[in-house]
Amino acid sequence: MQVRDVTVTGAALTPFNRRKDGTGFRDWALSAFEMALERSGLERSDIDALYVASESDFFHLQLNPASVLATELGLTGVAATRCEGGGASGQVAVHTAARAIQAGAAKHVAVIGADPSASSLSGDAVRTLYGFSFDAWTDGMTGLTSTALYALSFQAFAAEHGGTEADLATVTLQNRSNACHNPGAHLPRRDSPQDIADSPAIASPYRRLHCSPLSDGAAAIILSRTDATPRTRIGAARIAGMGAATDHMHLGARADPGFFNAKQMAMQRACADAGATPAEIGLAELYDAYAGTQLQAIAALGLSEDVSRDLNDGAFAPSGRCAINLSGGLMGQGAPVGATGVGQTATCALLLEGRYHPALQPDTLPRYALADTHGGVCTLSAVTILERAERAA
Amino acid sequence: MISHHLGLDYALNPGWMAPYVAGLSVGKARARRCQSCAATSFPPLRVCTCGCLKGDWTDLPGTAQILFRTTGLDGDFGLVHFDGATTKTTLRLQAIPATETRGIIAASGDDLPVLCLTALGGERDG
Repeated sequence: MQVRDVTVTGAALTPFNRRKDGTGFRDWALSAFEMALERSGLERSDIDALYVASESDFFHLQLNPASVLATELGLTGVAATRCEGGGASGQVAVHTAARAIQAGAAKHVAVIGADPSASSLSGDAVRTLYGFSFDAWTDGMTGLTSTALYALSFQAFAAEHGGTEADLATVTLQNRSNACHNPGAHLPRRDSPQDIADSPAIASPYRRLHCSPLSDGAAAIILSRTDATPRTRIGAARIAGMGAATDHMHLGARADPGFFNAKQMAMQRACADAGATPAEIGLAELYDAYAGTQLQAIAALGLSEDVSRDLNDGAFAPSGRCAINLSGGLMGQGAPVGATGVGQTATCALLLEGRYHPALQPDTLPRYALADTHGGVCTLSAVTILERAERAA
Repeated sequence: MISHHLGLDYALNPGWMAPYVAGLSVGKARARRCQSCAATSFPPLRVCTCGCLKGDWTDLPGTAQILFRTTGLDGDFGLVHFDGATTKTTLRLQAIPATETRGIIAASGDDLPVLCLTALGGERDG
């Protein structure tokens, strides 16, 4: 089978925050879609299919959201698919959409991620629901929270691979500092290590400021078969490689409960797909649900042989060899779950085109950028490698 | 903004995990022993990490070593290793002082199948 090349012809995000303006997820989805479509140079009638990432009907109380959004976006008639993989839902949708183009089933597709993760339910209700993101019978009914499971996983990682409270603070401060230059970010903050230490304990070692927020928002990308890309979008980034994998659903059944094995496998598959190596990744939007999660991701993705050392040497700072979470990541930009992975891909595409927020746009564009998400405690991992076009800005 | 309350009463069946769930209700650590490699999983795995689908139910002593623990808003939780098990597990820690490194499974009664470790000598009657 001939595999078609895929280009990100349009990319956009709404602000991620807690909405208090009376708008709903349909409004945010339409806003992101229209921005992305305009940037793509395409018309609604060009879109062959719609892929919707939405983590849970519990959030928006709308079953079958893909068909509803097809109507709301003015795309009635297109094929519509809802994609779900917990926190990885957005990347799962990106992969599914790109595979449709690669297989020749579509020429131009829209990928929308949207969830009202902040405003529709109480924090306690969401915390309870998230407990069922893992094995509902062993973890959810026991009352194990997402934060507790991630905390145990990070402790296991730190014991085996290293990672200190100072490292957690460095990640927290860096991501939120980056978010200060992102006008769409949920938590642009300049805290001190003492502020972090003084924030409430959630599940040791994690304190409130080590955690990503629940956010409302949407993101959209338009993917096109590269040979059908409008001439005005010839400098747009392309999807170079995709990889996904799963790990055992029980943390305790994993040989190394602190290591994100699924992420390592997904990255190896994406690199093989792209013909790239982790060392060639110059920008990365990582799934930092918690500060330690970012350290675990860096190790599993092969972006560092010594995560603490490289973190403290500035390798992942905005001017570092691999700038991580320039958007602020989940911790700074926010996390409307279904929109997260789509937003990461959009962010990478905009960065590689030189069209991201000016204060965050690197002077020198790398060849490759990485978008990384997972669901569960990295039970399902999906990563995407994007490549800069030769004629990028 | 529209406020709307939605109450849901689920009737969930544990299926093949029924012996495990029944064990929790009376404070028994009911594990799955692989017929191929003899690995003993707790919580039970339908498919062993070796790939074998066949296993037998076996009761563990119910005592466990606490490897990592986290304390916070929702209580104490741990990653523990049950004596006799090959795998480890995450669970709730109930009234186990931070200085203690061992505990014993607690009965969950007729409520949700809560996997919980309590202090040695402090377990409830099954």
